[in-house]
Amino acid sequence: MSEPLMQSPLHDLGLAARARAIDDSAGTWACERPLAAFISLRGHVSDAAFVAAVSKALGTALPVKPCTTSEAAQTKVLWLSPDEWMIVAPRAEKARLLAALGASLKGIRSQVIDNSGGYTQVVLTGGYATDVLAHTTVYDVHALEPGRVVGTTFGKASLYLRRDGDGYVLLFRRSFADYILRYLERAAGPYGFAVASAETTGTS
Amino acid sequence: MFLIHCPHCGEAREEEEFSYGGEAFIARPGKPAEIGDEAWGDYLFMRKNPKGWHWEMWGHATGCRKWFVVKRHTANHTIAGSWTLTEGRKVYDAEATS
Amino acid sequence: MTSHRIDLPCARIDRSQPLSFTFDGIRLAGFVGDTLASALLANGWRMLGRSFKYGRPRGIVGSGPEEPNALVQVEAGANTIPNLKATQVELYDGLVARRTTGWPSLRADLKSLGGRFGRFMPAGFYYKTFKPEFAWRRIEPLIRNAAGYGATPLDADPDLYDHQHHHAQVLVVGGGAAGLAAALAAGRAGLDVILVDESSEPGGWLLSMPNVAIAGKPSGEWLSDILAELASLPNVRVMPRTSAFALHDLNLVQAVEQLQDHLAPAARDSTKPRQRLHRIRAGRIVLATGAIDRPLVFGQNDRPGIMTASALTTYLNRYAVAVGNRVVILTSNDYAYQGACDLAKAGVRVTLVDTRTALDLAWERKARGAGIDVRAGYGISRTHGSHAIDGVQLIKLDAAGNAVPGRAPYLDCDAVGSSGGLSPTVHLYCHDGGRPQWDESRLAFIAPATGRARSGIFCVGALAGEFGLSGALEQTWIIMDEVLATFGKEQARERTHATTTEMTTSPAQRIFRVPDGKREGHGKKAFVDFQNDVATSDIHLAVRENYRSIEHIKRYTALGFGTDQGKLSNVNGFAIAADALGKSIPEVGTTTYRPAYSPVTFGTLAGPHAGNTFDPRRYTAMHACHAKRGAAFEPVGQWLRPWYFPQGSEDMHAAVKRECLAARRGVAIMDASTLGKIDLKGKDVRELLNRVYANAWTSLAPGKCRYGLMLDENGMVMDDGVTACIADDHFHMTTTTGGAARVLSWLEKWHQTEWPDLDVFMTSVTDHWATAAVVGPKSREVLAKVCKDIDLSPAAFKFMDWREGTVADVPARVFRISFSGELAFEVNVEATYGAHVWEALMEAGAEHGITPYGTETMHVLRAEKGFIIVGQDTDGSLTPYDLDMAWAVSLKKAYSFLGQRSLTREDTARKGRKQLVGLLTEQPDVVLREGAQIIESTDIKHPMPMLGHVTSSYMSPELGRSIALAVVADGIARRSPEGVKDGRDVLYAWARGDAHRVRVVSPVFLDPKGERQNV
Repeated sequence: MSEPLMQSPLHDLGLAARARAIDDSAGTWACERPLAAFISLRGHVSDAAFVAAVSKALGTALPVKPCTTSEAAQTKVLWLSPDEWMIVAPRAEKARLLAALGASLKGIRSQVIDNSGGYTQVVLTGGYATDVLAHTTVYDVHALEPGRVVGTTFGKASLYLRRDGDGYVLLFRRSFADYILRYLERAAGPYGFAVASAETTGTS
Repeated sequence: MFLIHCPHCGEAREEEEFSYGGEAFIARPGKPAEIGDEAWGDYLFMRKNPKGWHWEMWGHATGCRKWFVVKRHTANHTIAGSWTLTEGRKVYDAEATS
Repeated sequence: MTSHRIDLPCARIDRSQPLSFTFDGIRLAGFVGDTLASALLANGWRMLGRSFKYGRPRGIVGSGPEEPNALVQVEAGANTIPNLKATQVELYDGLVARRTTGWPSLRADLKSLGGRFGRFMPAGFYYKTFKPEFAWRRIEPLIRNAAGYGATPLDADPDLYDHQHHHAQVLVVGGGAAGLAAALAAGRAGLDVILVDESSEPGGWLLSMPNVAIAGKPSGEWLSDILAELASLPNVRVMPRTSAFALHDLNLVQAVEQLQDHLAPAARDSTKPRQRLHRIRAGRIVLATGAIDRPLVFGQNDRPGIMTASALTTYLNRYAVAVGNRVVILTSNDYAYQGACDLAKAGVRVTLVDTRTALDLAWERKARGAGIDVRAGYGISRTHGSHAIDGVQLIKLDAAGNAVPGRAPYLDCDAVGSSGGLSPTVHLYCHDGGRPQWDESRLAFIAPATGRARSGIFCVGALAGEFGLSGALEQTWIIMDEVLATFGKEQARERTHATTTEMTTSPAQRIFRVPDGKREGHGKKAFVDFQNDVATSDIHLAVRENYRSIEHIKRYTALGFGTDQGKLSNVNGFAIAADALGKSIPEVGTTTYRPAYSPVTFGTLAGPHAGNTFDPRRYTAMHACHAKRGAAFEPVGQWLRPWYFPQGSEDMHAAVKRECLAARRGVAIMDASTLGKIDLKGKDVRELLNRVYANAWTSLAPGKCRYGLMLDENGMVMDDGVTACIADDHFHMTTTTGGAARVLSWLEKWHQTEWPDLDVFMTSVTDHWATAAVVGPKSREVLAKVCKDIDLSPAAFKFMDWREGTVADVPARVFRISFSGELAFEVNVEATYGAHVWEALMEAGAEHGITPYGTETMHVLRAEKGFIIVGQDTDGSLTPYDLDMAWAVSLKKAYSFLGQRSLTREDTARKGRKQLVGLLTEQPDVVLREGAQIIESTDIKHPMPMLGHVTSSYMSPELGRSIALAVVADGIARRSPEGVKDGRDVLYAWARGDAHRVRVVSPVFLDPKGERQNV
């Protein structure tokens, strides 16, 4: 039998067919980073054993300060709450990370869940990316510094937002993907909206 | 439209990110079976409705999903502060005894 | 022509760009820079409408948002906008506008017949005259037909709107001299500044006063210099055509920006928004909203051609329009003098009637020097004219402003301007609780400059009572020192703009209603509020009828309502009410200023929340699979779910019948991905479940599932679902589709506030798992084709078991649970593989005719089994006992679970509560209406005891007859097995005039022993 078919949450919107290299023709460029691994991690910051075990398994210090991130190679760790983190990594890393966390956290009060089917990320770049986001969220986007991640509103939905180089990364739930992309495209309309091909967006 | 400081995220955020949780520090009776209908009814339904300072719960719905307490003036909407449940309890108790 | 265009080079119109427009079908000409009002005046138009109540002729009164009369309908069809103020409509080529009142024509208005009997239509006329309900019911449609202004568009709004959020250090509201100076001070200090101004270009009153110099420059040059400097500062954003209409808590201001209204519809970019709502959260707000010239109230003061004095000046200086050839200006202050001089200089014959007996000598000399006929110590008692003003009768006043008997001159004129002083635009200052203060020396409610400084709100210029330009600029300078100090910054020391050539003014006279020598109500009507036809006599009548609060007087008379929100009328109304009440003005106070300062379109408020972004529309990972198969969809909360899958020409009933029979007799499949799913981990999860569910969880072994009812603290069912034990410290909970977010928040709240000691983590995995329910006697055979690593045999995989394995080469959790009463397997896989697994199951089931089904069939299948849907069969008022589900309640748990104590409260435990039952109609083909009322007899007498209502009702293909679920008072005791009939089981379901005889039975219509799901 062939490999099971995987579909990203934005599959039905056919973004790939619209993708092109970034140029000056649009003020905002969106690009999905499909089919990544998303691991929900829960535990207590006050539990030194937990922090140490996670840091060891991930190969990077667990971000314990509010709204901060850390990274190791292609793995990003996002602080979501004092007892919740999201680990984002290439899909190929998923099994290894789950196993490492499972082994490392044995006997430690924690929760590790494969949530990969539940989320996706969109990278937003372009000269007007910040202005466009100001149309979509109540958060003060201009004040969002690199290395920080915030959970906030997006239209009538919500998502996690972080700066990434010149652009932003939007992390949101699968079932809201269609709404969020349509809302984003509507907000970006006056500035010009286009879909960027993955290789021109850069990856991190 | 308030700006509310989330003690967990460490930032002031717009009210749209939060959900209101009503009066804070309403303790659930320890042994419900042993109290009468009236006392149980008080716990269920009776709430302060002050014109003035009010301790209330807010949940950071789109953010960290944590519940915390805010001391807010109901007449002019001044917010005196916001605290985690634990820290807020200490401030609340200190006020009650002073 | 009376009002006409003149040659005035400093005006802000562009004579090199002529425009053509139509009003009421007549083609007219104007220029770029005109408003519709200025262009109409330039074309000699004076009467533009008829008044609301009496149908009196009305014309333009103001020159901005204060305009009460000139409400016009702009454009036609889907683009039409009713009730725009002509004073705010920017002219563009091809603009089409028409009047909103006057029927059948402006000159012969039917309502004006009523106006002739105006003295018989006082305040409260409608309430008093049509008090008997039957009379009101007949007359109301007639009144409503005659009332109102423009017509609502009937087509869908073709325009786009959006919202934008801003976070600025300083927001300046108002782009007049003070606002610009404030923005410059903050901008130079390096702060992030936003300045909003409602007009087409910033400048405010400066645009109407070219004959003054600031810092040695003509005002126009000073204005363009300051705008150029602001434009050069990257930290300053100046937004013209942006009206701040609301100020909320903690310095949040909402403003609407008109992006394309000033363009002809054909020239607008349909891909861009017409208007944008800005929500600006500012560290400090500097209000520089200015003031509005307050007209004096005198007899017959509502004729077309009578305006505010400042409107006359603005039409002259900004738009190069002289509103008459012989103008009378009635004033009680010096502010009207400069405009009068400007008019005279433009060749207009001006008579200045000053209510004061002693005039400011400098201003008097200047006026006389300009050739103005100045009359001190006079007022106007009444006016003359048919459809526009043609003369005024003066009345002699003494130094106190009282009428002096005797003859006074009658003046011919074709326009009148009046000024009773300035009323600061205090609206925003008051929106979130600020109160204006009455300043007797300025005769105005002002906003104290630093009265709300602690909240970060500062007031500069005329708003704070600084009515003169020099004073306003100086005061702005001082206040900005304070504003900057709150940021730890200082202004550059040199004052660049505080010196002006403006002449000083002497105090205004305290006069609001010009006396006519008669008792109020006996002379000519003197209007306070033009838009609502409120006269001085109406306010006096309200007081005579014992209305004491200004809020009540407002509501009885309609003073200050409408699209202008009383910008011209409020202060006059308060002062006249104070006189009538024998109180001081501060004792009477103001009515409450509420958002919106000026009208905002619904489109702008809705913004992007329209069309396919109206509300989040959630889709499952299998959505495209369903769409491909022609599913009809229905919204379930935010989700879009397959409703049924019609084949060929099938209607819903045919499709549902086929789908139901497939599930009962063969195999069918449903997308159940929308159920809420929560992953719970920790050694205390069992204890948490024991506390939040009514039943017990201590003994549930890994590999097993259990159904639970979740109660609120009142003991009422709030959610239900199946929870599986993954490991001793690991559970997978499912919730209802609609309850997912609520349940997680509920659990978190209890955990965080009441039970922080419990070792539990809860994380939503709703979106991670895609779920396909394979249902029916053949479901095991179908699943077996794509699942080789789970022993599906009845002995190894029992009902309410779950197993981990692989389905279609994808890791899966398979739950043997059933919401249909049939043998069923719910296959959960990572949603990434949802479509793949759905298609694999369809392929595997093809030989058995696997039938996809939607929510409608799901409802029929579960109703046949008497399974409830929380929120449909329950409404927050039913306990587990009311649902006859005592089996799902365990009273033996150590911790008193949520809601347990309430189950024994007097009312919760009483006999005869409404309880869930099944209903069978006497006629098997009658499907009851959901919501039908349950009654005991068809002999309907009021009040009729309502015993309950039908909650679910369907045609059951399997049973070949209709079935229904209902909640009925004492319903469980009324249920009678077949053959036992004591009469109490026979009731009627009544809806829309039809009553159907029904029998109360068990809600389980099919397979009461549950044998089918256990095969």
